[in-house]
Amino acid sequence: MFGHIFFTRIKCLVRDKQLIFWSLIFPIILATLFKLTFANISNGEVFKPIDIAVVSNQFYENDHGFRETMKHVSEDGHGKLFNMVKADEVKADELLKNNKISGYIYLNPEVNLVVKSSGLNQSIIKTFLDNYKESKNNILSITKANPSAGIEGILKDLHVNREYTYEVAPSGGAPNTSLSYFYSLIALACLYGGFLGLKEITDIQADLSKRAARVNMAPVHKMKMFAYGILAALLIQFAEILILLGYLSFVLRVDFGNQLPYILLLSFVGGAAGISIGTMISACIRKGEGIKIGILITVSLISCSLAGMYYAGTKYIIEKKAPFLAYINPATLITDGLYTLYYYNTYERYFLNVAILTVLSIIFCLITYLIIRRQKYASL
Amino acid sequence: MIVKVNNLVKRYNELLALDHFNLEVKKGEIFGLLGPNGSGKSTSINCILSLLKYDKGEIQVFGKPMSPDAYDIKKDIGVVMQEVAVFEELTVYENINYFCGLYIEDKDRRKALVEEAIEFVALKDFRKFYPKKLSGGLLRRLNIACGIAHKPKLIILDEPTVAVDPQSRNNILTGIKKLNEQGATVIYTTHYMEEAEQLCDRIAIIDKGKTVALGTKEELKGMIKIGEKITVEVFNLVPEALEELRKLPTVDKAEYRENILVVRSKKGKDSLVKILEFMNSHDIKFGKMYSELPTLNDVFLEITGKELRD
Ligand SMILES: Nc1ncnc2c1ncn2[C@@H]1O[C@H](COP(=O)(O)OP(=O)(O)OP(=O)(O)O)[C@@H](O)[C@H]1O
Ligand SMILES: [Mg+2]
Repeated sequence: MFGHIFFTRIKCLVRDKQLIFWSLIFPIILATLFKLTFANISNGEVFKPIDIAVVSNQFYENDHGFRETMKHVSEDGHGKLFNMVKADEVKADELLKNNKISGYIYLNPEVNLVVKSSGLNQSIIKTFLDNYKESKNNILSITKANPSAGIEGILKDLHVNREYTYEVAPSGGAPNTSLSYFYSLIALACLYGGFLGLKEITDIQADLSKRAARVNMAPVHKMKMFAYGILAALLIQFAEILILLGYLSFVLRVDFGNQLPYILLLSFVGGAAGISIGTMISACIRKGEGIKIGILITVSLISCSLAGMYYAGTKYIIEKKAPFLAYINPATLITDGLYTLYYYNTYERYFLNVAILTVLSIIFCLITYLIIRRQKYASL
Repeated sequence: MIVKVNNLVKRYNELLALDHFNLEVKKGEIFGLLGPNGSGKSTSINCILSLLKYDKGEIQVFGKPMSPDAYDIKKDIGVVMQEVAVFEELTVYENINYFCGLYIEDKDRRKALVEEAIEFVALKDFRKFYPKKLSGGLLRRLNIACGIAHKPKLIILDEPTVAVDPQSRNNILTGIKKLNEQGATVIYTTHYMEEAEQLCDRIAIIDKGKTVALGTKEELKGMIKIGEKITVEVFNLVPEALEELRKLPTVDKAEYRENILVVRSKKGKDSLVKILEFMNSHDIKFGKMYSELPTLNDVFLEITGKELRD
């Protein structure tokens, strides 16, 4: 019985053109567009150092580490990232107003960025600063937890910064930024697994489709139908993600680092989360299929834009302002997992993301099952 | 008793779709549910199948209470829903095979059954077709095949012949008769009285969610006051003659409009000869003349005051 249902579900999924479009073709198209956009940026012009100002107040003068870092990335040479001027706050404001600089940094003593608009330059500065803060926090926590590791930590800090500037400057496309777009694209592809979940429910809920009414008449337990269908969806969704990842790395030459098994595991649980969200939407919302698809797309896009698909800084803002949201937003969990794999050497945060995604998937599936378990319908 | 429904009440919000509906289907019979659109046929079927919630009443199938997880009952039921219920992504063969496989695990046996079902609905040339490529009539036939392939003991068909051409319809009806002869009990809903008359051993006429009459077609026709209906083409019937005709002892009603005379006989009386005599003796010229026995429509008309079909 398992094979019979499972393989038929697979047939139904792969032969559904609309479903394949959204869950596979669309992410591939989007990836290609992203790539073209970034390619234009990096090929179109040689990277020009970004004009910025730093407010030369006492905090800046006292923050030796930051001063050194800024000096390092403003030096003429291969790694030059910024054209930096020192100014007082009034002057910096004026420069910004007159578009003489892309943004200015002031310390209070936290490192703050002031920009007027958003754009590539702004996100490069921001990403740079985020990175700086992150490394600094790492050092702080390492030295706090283990004072003797101080030297090593600082070495690591320097290393991170060097690598960062080295990568950003020559390509000019800011790999951090562009990678994060691809990460959120993968997240989107995972969430679009919801289309498969949606279909699975439509095909076993008698009030959602006529064929499901017929399926309901068969002497097969609802739980079985549900489970086998979800398994089929998982398999297809995973295959689709594999195709997307293959396309990204072999055709578009996006470099994901060398953590393949981890990326696959993350994509798998990400896909599971997507599917389970789809099943839940389908089961909870008692509206037509078109509306459900609309809701699914909206939810996925919101989730992904919160994770930084349209503006890389969103993710950071959410983490800062609404950390809880970052912990339950599947797209954030997926992108963050990928991000951690790329930038950190420890897997703690990665596995936390995987675990949360798994728990979310199970919860969503349980909710779905509780709803679809109710076996008689008020109307067909 | 294969199916027993007792005082079933089903509401859709305010609308009372089934109003203390009762039904008893005996083993081996073809039972017809005849009623106009919206009378509650599909609703009663879906309640019997435990797909729909209902407000009141008891339902037993094969002598056991029916419920959504009564799998031992479900395995012996075959359903052909009113709307076509197949998978767009599966071919004719795959559809039948899938549904059959939900009942029959044994592959060889299933294969034979699926072939038989394809034969039954004459879709041999279309086995690799996707539903989208099938005409309305062929789709209906696929719909039927999906419901009966596993050789159920109880077959429930909800208006399976809507939009099917007359020839296929006849094939389907004979097919159902054959299944019945092989031992299946059949519940058949329709709003075509001809079908019900042709096929069913017993018929329940339902209207507004209630059974208004029940019996064999002869019994049903016996329930009403009118008998034979005679239609005559007449060219020069004067009103006085019509009045005289109406007074004939066997005549219940007589209407004359646009050269057509319609005479309704009283129940059990034969007026054809009397009318012929009348025409001749009054020297009335007439063209075609034909006589019809009362139909189930007449039964419905008399009981509810409206036509079965508009
Ligand atoms: N899902 C629903 N929601 C609200 N009312 C409904 C629903 N389904 C049916 N009804 C109403 O219930 C009544 C019975 O409908 P039902 O479909 O059982 O009739 P039917 O005899 O099968 O008619 P038909 O010959 O058109 O199939 C009708 O008045 C119909 O409008
Ligand atoms: Mg109906």
